[in-house]
Amino acid sequence: MSDLQHNAAIDDRVAAGPVLQRESKSQGRVVWEQFRKHKAALVGGGVLLAMYLVTLFAGFLAPYGINEYRRFPVTAFQPPTPIHWTDPDTGRLTRPYIYNAVSERHPVTRQRIYVEDTSQPFPIQFFVRRPNESYKILGLFESDLHLFGVEDPARIFLWGSNSLGKDVFSRVLYGGQVSLTIGLLAVWVSLFLGLLMGGLAGYYGGRIDDFIMRLVEVFAAIPDLFLLVVLASLLRDPRNPLAQAFGLDMSSSQTFLMIVIVLGFVGWGGLARVIRGLVLSIREMDYASAAKALGASETRILWRHLLPATASYVIVSLTLAIPGFILAEVGLSFLGLGPSAIDTSSWGLMLRDATARGISIQFVPWLLIPGIPIFLAVLTWNLVGDGLRDAFDPKKRR
Amino acid sequence: MFPFIVRRVFHLIPTFLGATLLAFVISQLVPGDFFTQKALEPGVRPETLARLRAQYGLDQHWTVQYFRWMASILQGDLGLSFSSNQPVENIITRPIQNSMGLVGMSIAMLWMAAIPLGVYSAVRQYSPGDQVVSVFAYFGLAIPNFFFAQVLVLLIFVLRGFTREAFGYNEVLLPVAGMTSTNFYQMGWWEQRWDVFQHMLLPAFVVATAGIAGFTRVLRAQMLDYLGSDFIRTARAKGLGERTVTYKHALRPAVIPFIAGIGGILPSLIGGAGLVEVVMSWPGITPTFLNALARQDIYVVLGLLVISSLLLMAGNLISDLLLAVVDPRIRYN
Repeated sequence: MSDLQHNAAIDDRVAAGPVLQRESKSQGRVVWEQFRKHKAALVGGGVLLAMYLVTLFAGFLAPYGINEYRRFPVTAFQPPTPIHWTDPDTGRLTRPYIYNAVSERHPVTRQRIYVEDTSQPFPIQFFVRRPNESYKILGLFESDLHLFGVEDPARIFLWGSNSLGKDVFSRVLYGGQVSLTIGLLAVWVSLFLGLLMGGLAGYYGGRIDDFIMRLVEVFAAIPDLFLLVVLASLLRDPRNPLAQAFGLDMSSSQTFLMIVIVLGFVGWGGLARVIRGLVLSIREMDYASAAKALGASETRILWRHLLPATASYVIVSLTLAIPGFILAEVGLSFLGLGPSAIDTSSWGLMLRDATARGISIQFVPWLLIPGIPIFLAVLTWNLVGDGLRDAFDPKKRR
Repeated sequence: MFPFIVRRVFHLIPTFLGATLLAFVISQLVPGDFFTQKALEPGVRPETLARLRAQYGLDQHWTVQYFRWMASILQGDLGLSFSSNQPVENIITRPIQNSMGLVGMSIAMLWMAAIPLGVYSAVRQYSPGDQVVSVFAYFGLAIPNFFFAQVLVLLIFVLRGFTREAFGYNEVLLPVAGMTSTNFYQMGWWEQRWDVFQHMLLPAFVVATAGIAGFTRVLRAQMLDYLGSDFIRTARAKGLGERTVTYKHALRPAVIPFIAGIGGILPSLIGGAGLVEVVMSWPGITPTFLNALARQDIYVVLGLLVISSLLLMAGNLISDLLLAVVDPRIRYN
């Protein structure tokens, strides 16, 4: 008797339980829940977010301006400034301070070396106002407040200084504004071209398809690096046809845009090919035929039914394309053909400084520091992309 | 098989023509030409420049220039270099050989490293070794080639300084720049080969890293796929040793995409070698290309583009054919 009741209760619960629990989840929610289980991707996403925030507030976090340097006394190739925490007399912990670095000649090699002048400590001050070095955040909010700084004549170079005595730390922070955003922007150019061309080729087929696919093959037949270099060197030139047509003077922001276009332009082929394949297969699906039978127009079918079905693939491949664009920009800048000019900086351009003529890297190893954020950015974008790919894949649900 | 090859080659012709046209149009869009820079030199008369332009055919309309150039290419002549007044072949042959040598070496390294690593991490899945391999694979994919080259150069210098201080050992540890030592022409034939080989080790390793990382990851996934399949269970059930099962039954199908991919990675490695060649001053394709581009020596630029796109297309063709050779499921008819 009790057994029967018990069983009935279980039956009830079995019947009622799943119904109660199974509220329908949107695809976005499912993907987010899956993504959260992917620890590496989550950590990668966090690091990435932090990097973007840091570059956004570069002006505040950087003690010096992007091109700020001092003619005299020289600060060229100054190694990272050591920060002292203990009082020299008592040996107790104090607030952090640095010493002014004085330039001297090495007695034997005659190289320039820097020696700490221990006569006067310069405490590191926080929230310093420097009226000469104001900056704008997002081009809107102007401020001259810097997170930290020291008084003249001392200079604080956390990551050393470059050949002109500019602060590497500040330049790395500012450089991220170019190197990190360019991938994000180029991906949109590439997405637009890829969706347009792939969608057209897959949907209309026939001559259009043949033509577009031939075009993709032609682009693929030239090695990417060479195409990038040729196009970049063409479009950076102020006398180039595009600049003359639109009356551009190729200021640094216009050069930046040109390089974005070049990167996106070189990268659309693969995406177009895959979108075409997806559209071709989806076009034959029942729901596309149903829409057609119901009298939907071709544009509606293309935009409302075919392209959304490719969305998950597109999101993943775009995320995985961004690190490629970042690397391409860094490579171009390294060759001196990148988006950055004298008044801007980028990580690739800073690495170019490290191989400049007359530099022996073993004496100035801190010039290689800009490579670390490149590595981190590419790594974390890859992690996030892998996480998204697994999250969108129904076979890999956990 | 043969009709397939013929069809593929015919298919490549319009692509090749399109690529040359694209390259030529881009080169024509660049304002000025080689002699524009010469116009700034004192003592160069405008008539001289006009005569030189006419001599090289630069005064013609670009379509005429294109068809002339195309006609000479079809006869196997890549044109003349402006800066050295030599046939383009003479200028680009050595760099292409040098780059191919570097790439060949890095493909060898890639295979020698990626196959054991991939097999190991699949057979010992989730072991500490496997996890170390996966972490390194992520690192290898994320580090920019040329930055890695710079870091290795730094490391070698630091190591040299250390050995000098510790042991008074002043020999060069591993050459980090160029392709030959300064006393190259005083060496015997074998010594010269050995010298080039030593110079090649570091850049070839750097070029191979990204490939090693990618290959290892894919090979691991492939191996895991095959190790879980029915025919492996059958092989084990009939009493085959674990070694035979791994290497004969699982590895063979798992490496198929790599054998096929060798044609595809050839051109991509040439591209990837580019910045490393610049950092380590390897006299390969990319430095020559950049020099020619800066001087607007367009026939050298176009010659390198033509050759590298031919290599790329040949590589793709070869990988398709290799796929048919190694995979009995694929037949082109």
